[in-house]
Amino acid sequence: MAEAATARADATVRLGARNISKSYGPVRANRDISLSVAPGEIHAIVGENGAGKSTLMRILQGMEHPDSGAIIVDDQDVRFSQPQQALETGIGMVHQEFMLAPDLTLLENLVLGDEPVSLAAGPLSRIDWAQALQSGEELAKKTGVAVDWRRRAGGTPVHIQQIVEIIRLLRRGTRILILDEPTAVLAPQQVEDLFVLLRNLRDAGTTILFISHKLKEVVALADRVTVIRRGEVSYSANVAETDSDTIARYIVGGNDTSLIETGRASRSRTGDGEVVLNVARLEAPSLEKSHPLHGVSLSVGKGEIVGLAAVSGNGQDELVECLVGLRSASKGRVELMGGDVTHATNGERRRKGIAYISADRRHEGLATLAPVEDNVVAGSHDRPPIGQGMLLSLKQKRRVATERLASVDVRYGNLGDPVSSLSGGNQQRLVFAREIASEPKVMVVSQPTRGVDLNGIAAIHKLLLQFRDDGGSVLLVSEELEELLYLCDRIVVMAAGRIVGEAPVEGTDIAEIGRMMVMQGHADG
Amino acid sequence: MIVEQIIAASIVMTTPILLAAMGGLVNRQAGIVNIALDAKMLTGAFVAVVVSSATGSWLVAVIAAALAGALVGLLFSLVITRANANMIVAGLGLNVFVTGFLGFILTWVYKSSGTLRLPDVQLLPHFLPEAVSGIPIIGRALAELEPLTVFAWATVIVLPFLLASTRIGLWVRVTGNAPQVARSMGLPQKSIQDFSTSFAGFYSGLGGAHLSLASIGLFNEGLTAGRGFIALAAFYFGRDRPVATAMVCLLFGFLEATQIRMQTAGLPPKLIGTIPYLMVLVALCIAGWRASRRKALS
Repeated sequence: MAEAATARADATVRLGARNISKSYGPVRANRDISLSVAPGEIHAIVGENGAGKSTLMRILQGMEHPDSGAIIVDDQDVRFSQPQQALETGIGMVHQEFMLAPDLTLLENLVLGDEPVSLAAGPLSRIDWAQALQSGEELAKKTGVAVDWRRRAGGTPVHIQQIVEIIRLLRRGTRILILDEPTAVLAPQQVEDLFVLLRNLRDAGTTILFISHKLKEVVALADRVTVIRRGEVSYSANVAETDSDTIARYIVGGNDTSLIETGRASRSRTGDGEVVLNVARLEAPSLEKSHPLHGVSLSVGKGEIVGLAAVSGNGQDELVECLVGLRSASKGRVELMGGDVTHATNGERRRKGIAYISADRRHEGLATLAPVEDNVVAGSHDRPPIGQGMLLSLKQKRRVATERLASVDVRYGNLGDPVSSLSGGNQQRLVFAREIASEPKVMVVSQPTRGVDLNGIAAIHKLLLQFRDDGGSVLLVSEELEELLYLCDRIVVMAAGRIVGEAPVEGTDIAEIGRMMVMQGHADG
Repeated sequence: MIVEQIIAASIVMTTPILLAAMGGLVNRQAGIVNIALDAKMLTGAFVAVVVSSATGSWLVAVIAAALAGALVGLLFSLVITRANANMIVAGLGLNVFVTGFLGFILTWVYKSSGTLRLPDVQLLPHFLPEAVSGIPIIGRALAELEPLTVFAWATVIVLPFLLASTRIGLWVRVTGNAPQVARSMGLPQKSIQDFSTSFAGFYSGLGGAHLSLASIGLFNEGLTAGRGFIALAAFYFGRDRPVATAMVCLLFGFLEATQIRMQTAGLPPKLIGTIPYLMVLVALCIAGWRASRRKALS
């Protein structure tokens, strides 16, 4: 015991990996990965989607076992046969999708699995809620955040949920905190607050592993950065001694760091002020954990990309569903080229020229288990040249599919392979090819680059700009503000189901949009 | 007089539904929609008659019925949680299987088709002194009060506390609400679900015992008459809350009681008999409509 305690105090490696390899069938997700995180350090792990970050984190957390290699905690080799052991050793992870039960209160979520009891009787023990509340309050005070512990977790703003999850781990004795893309759901100001909290935790002795693909955040927060590319560590350095260009180079490999352009794309002005899509005073009920629409009005002109910025769950998904015909509006109008389509079905709207690129590629955008060729021709399968009377021409289907896939440079094995075998970027390009094929007047595009790697993002941006330059209109919903600033001609900001502001991209900066996004966001949720 | 009779009959009719519904709501809170409550009630009813006849003790019979229900529940749960069977399909299967199997036992062991009459079946005792029947309005209901009805209503009172403030209650709720959260916090999600299904079986078994031992003292293949499904509707409508669910059970019990009266009044009995089931459909429509309203308002 005494030895272990000393080892802990002057450990040089708080958490590490030595030569970890892990394969799933033919896929080598992790190859010979070594990593060492010093006590009290914020260590960023960066890499493209599919680079192997998540596999490594699952191994460190005891959810997967490495084929070879070892995990190191406090300079000692350890083996976890289940997540529970990692938790007991002091390793806790905040997942991308929050691990709070939505119908339970925050307090109930806090004590879950480690309940203070006033009357011990095994599972029938009576939980001491007063003591639970006290421990929650104490920890919340340390984080500097006011938490209403009686509130249902599902009705709580996401940044508070995140903090409650961190508090829960601290309460369970977590010394090593792993955060998986923690800023993905946060508005800029909330990101700042989270960083302040994480720095405070580090200064109080907690070791933090921060997984991200946002280089700016890595540079702003981390002490050290490790880049993973194609399952291997490609780079590791102190943040003070490197810069984002260098890190980016190691993320994508090769020397092409200009894949993701920042700043502004070329502006095209094919438009003549003609309104293509017009939304007037739209009202609609909400999805779970979100906001209903309150009198939303906006318009998209010909040859224009209009961005919609909002923190996730502020009504943007409801709006998108109302526009494409997946949700019925309770009041207001949706007009396409001056014609009323408010109550048109999804199919009718498609025929009239509204295309849709869903944020939920796996469920709404694609039939993931169906072949590549079926996915790319879906929607035009029922008319010539593919649909011929009651029958499909398989020959024509293959021809059209091949053409479409080539037009957007989708890399695939065989036409008959399931679409799930493609990478995220290729899947999204396939969706684009399908949607553009119907020659839509307007595309409603939601989170087009979510889960897409850097190469794929660049390609999708080019496709969107190309569509606009050809006279198409786009309503682009994205949580990536840089993406909006890069692509859009105007940006509309939404919060709590209302349009709270509009800005031309010229002369607008991210902070300003961020402020508008959180001004009313969640305040009345 | 009629009011007294209807109140007494309503209480009696409510008890088996209430017992099954209390079990089923705990099960559903743990994330398992148990459509096989009926099978467990039928098992309980059968076991209760057999054991009561063999031992001459209603208490032993009731305990045996509850344990038999719990055992069927546990097996059912293992099929769902360990073998990953679909809970609805497995539940349908269990209902059909239990009905068929008990029918087989009746003909094979007892050489009777449909109904099982055994000698010396001890019924549930009416434990209050005969004098209470003199009390106006509720006197008759009090006089007919037996232990299972008391137990059922005691459960209604205690269950909210158990769910809200004990470890197992919290575990059950988190398992149903967010199983992946339960798992990541180190809770044995599958075992918790197995417990909840056994609990539902235990209570359904008691409900079955009430059906066979409250007054008739015999077992019949169609004895439950779909009461397991009525219980299901009750906790759906009561949104898995014990007290609200109990009120719905009381309503169904009342409908059953009045339905028997109406039959004696000369209305076509088969048609009247469908009223509680029709009400179940109405209740489920209202529950669904309310849920979508709530979602829209939130």
